[in-house]
Amino acid sequence: MIVTCSKEQGIGIVEVSHALTAATVDSFREQLSKWQEAEDDVLNYVIDLKHVDFMDSAGLGTMIAMLKRISEKGGDMKIACLQKKPRMVFEITRAYKVFEIFDTVEEALKAFE
Amino acid sequence: MNAVFYTADAQSWAESLGDIPWPLLPVANRPLLDYWLEACAEQGIEQVQVILGEDSERVEDFARDGARWGLKISYSFARTSEHPLDYLKSIADRWDEGLLFIGAPFFLRHRKAFTPAGFETLDACLHEHDGQIQFLFGKSGAEVKALLAGEPGSRTGLEQIHIHPFTIDSTAAYFDLNMKMVAGEFPRYVTAGFLDSDHSSIGYNVLTLPSAQLRAPILVGNDCRFAAMTTIGPKAVIGDHVIVDSRSELENCLILQDTYIGQNLEIKNKIVSGNRLVNPEDGTSIEIDDSWLVARNRPDMRTEDLVRYIVLWFLGFGVALAQLVPFCILYPVVRAVRIGKYFDEKFHDPRTGYTALPVFRKLKNRRSVAYSLFRALTLDRFPWLLLALRGRLFVCGQPPMRHPEDDEIIHQLKQYYPAVFSYADYCKESDRLTDSLWYAHIRSLFEDVKILIKSLLYRFFRAGR
Repeated sequence: MIVTCSKEQGIGIVEVSHALTAATVDSFREQLSKWQEAEDDVLNYVIDLKHVDFMDSAGLGTMIAMLKRISEKGGDMKIACLQKKPRMVFEITRAYKVFEIFDTVEEALKAFE
Repeated sequence: MNAVFYTADAQSWAESLGDIPWPLLPVANRPLLDYWLEACAEQGIEQVQVILGEDSERVEDFARDGARWGLKISYSFARTSEHPLDYLKSIADRWDEGLLFIGAPFFLRHRKAFTPAGFETLDACLHEHDGQIQFLFGKSGAEVKALLAGEPGSRTGLEQIHIHPFTIDSTAAYFDLNMKMVAGEFPRYVTAGFLDSDHSSIGYNVLTLPSAQLRAPILVGNDCRFAAMTTIGPKAVIGDHVIVDSRSELENCLILQDTYIGQNLEIKNKIVSGNRLVNPEDGTSIEIDDSWLVARNRPDMRTEDLVRYIVLWFLGFGVALAQLVPFCILYPVVRAVRIGKYFDEKFHDPRTGYTALPVFRKLKNRRSVAYSLFRALTLDRFPWLLLALRGRLFVCGQPPMRHPEDDEIIHQLKQYYPAVFSYADYCKESDRLTDSLWYAHIRSLFEDVKILIKSLLYRFFRAGR
């Protein structure tokens, strides 16, 4: 699991390289926390899921926990490039009602403007 | 007339639905092959030949010798080099009395005006899809030979007898057919025993708790268990042995057999087959196996089962050790006052078919301190615990099923864990079949320890009542 974090227009872009499951969420959390500690001025995030072809309840739980933490700090989080299979998980769990989902990272960034 | 069903060709769209061979994929909770065999029975066809491909065992296991439909079914294997049409031509003399051939996932969709007698007026006809013969019907050898030689046959084909030929060539078509069936067509295929006034049909032993809402049209298979606050339908087909957990909503969806639906899900426009979630529109499938989402019911957990068995054996040993002295003191007293004794009764045994277990019964309907104490300490189960330590029973699991009274329950249980303690020991409302199915799905070390502790405590506080 490789999490690539970058900053654009003051917004954190988090690119996840692998399926987000119970086996990978710890690594995801750990890598993201390190970057957040280093970049503590970033409030808003776009999660780029174009390489995430699978997500289970642990992965979804991590997304929800992340949204909660970001919201508590006054920020917001948007999801971009959600693939077909994880999209089904979002649909059946009603998670699409909780997250703002965009087709591309650019669209998600625009939504912050 | 003879019938030949060619099931050897693999169907790529069916692969996304799991490991069920396509002839056994359910349409409104009945395997496709079942409809074909029923059509044969309706037409008085006696000889049916099923040409098998992969997963032949499961197809053969379902149809067997055809006695269930009053048919004689024979099986053969397809030669990879031979086209089904060439095969039919090579033994054309066998079709002198006519032939009904189905060679693909083809559904004979009944229109309202259809009656089985319509087949008598059906002209020789042939239906093709993508250049492949899917359906062929001829009442005489000459008609069959003409069709095999490439003559087109009747122009109207099956439509003339009010059958709409429906080719299942994608998950979308398969889903669409199921939704059309549940929306009102399925009563055209089911005759006795079903009331179709509100387009709903619910199978046997389906447990629904008070706050669940089941909205027609729905089709629910056997042995389903819906927890509270579950909303199901309209347009939902739920297969056999499905568990839907609390606050889940199912609408316009097809749930195939042995599926576990997790808590608080909203499943719309989807096919769920065990641990697979399929989008019927494009056939995208995802394998989840996550009890918070969807999972295969009754998962095979050999290692976990072994660990559970070993840990529970030691716990059982501890309980038996604690009971040894009280049993040695109290049982002679109980026998002396003639308040109760053990009787050997027959129960199903997973290995030997059936076995005799000592069941403690009260002999006289009067109060007795000795009896109350005997029951409170669960000493009546002491002989069963010893049997569990010898490996003949599980410590916690399903209640042992009586032989032969519970044959039907045993028939419906794919996994049978006869045990000393079960849900029935502390749950008064327990239904043995649904609880046994539930246990088979949810079994775990935690669940077993819970059953053991709750049973011992409940019996202790309810002693003698």
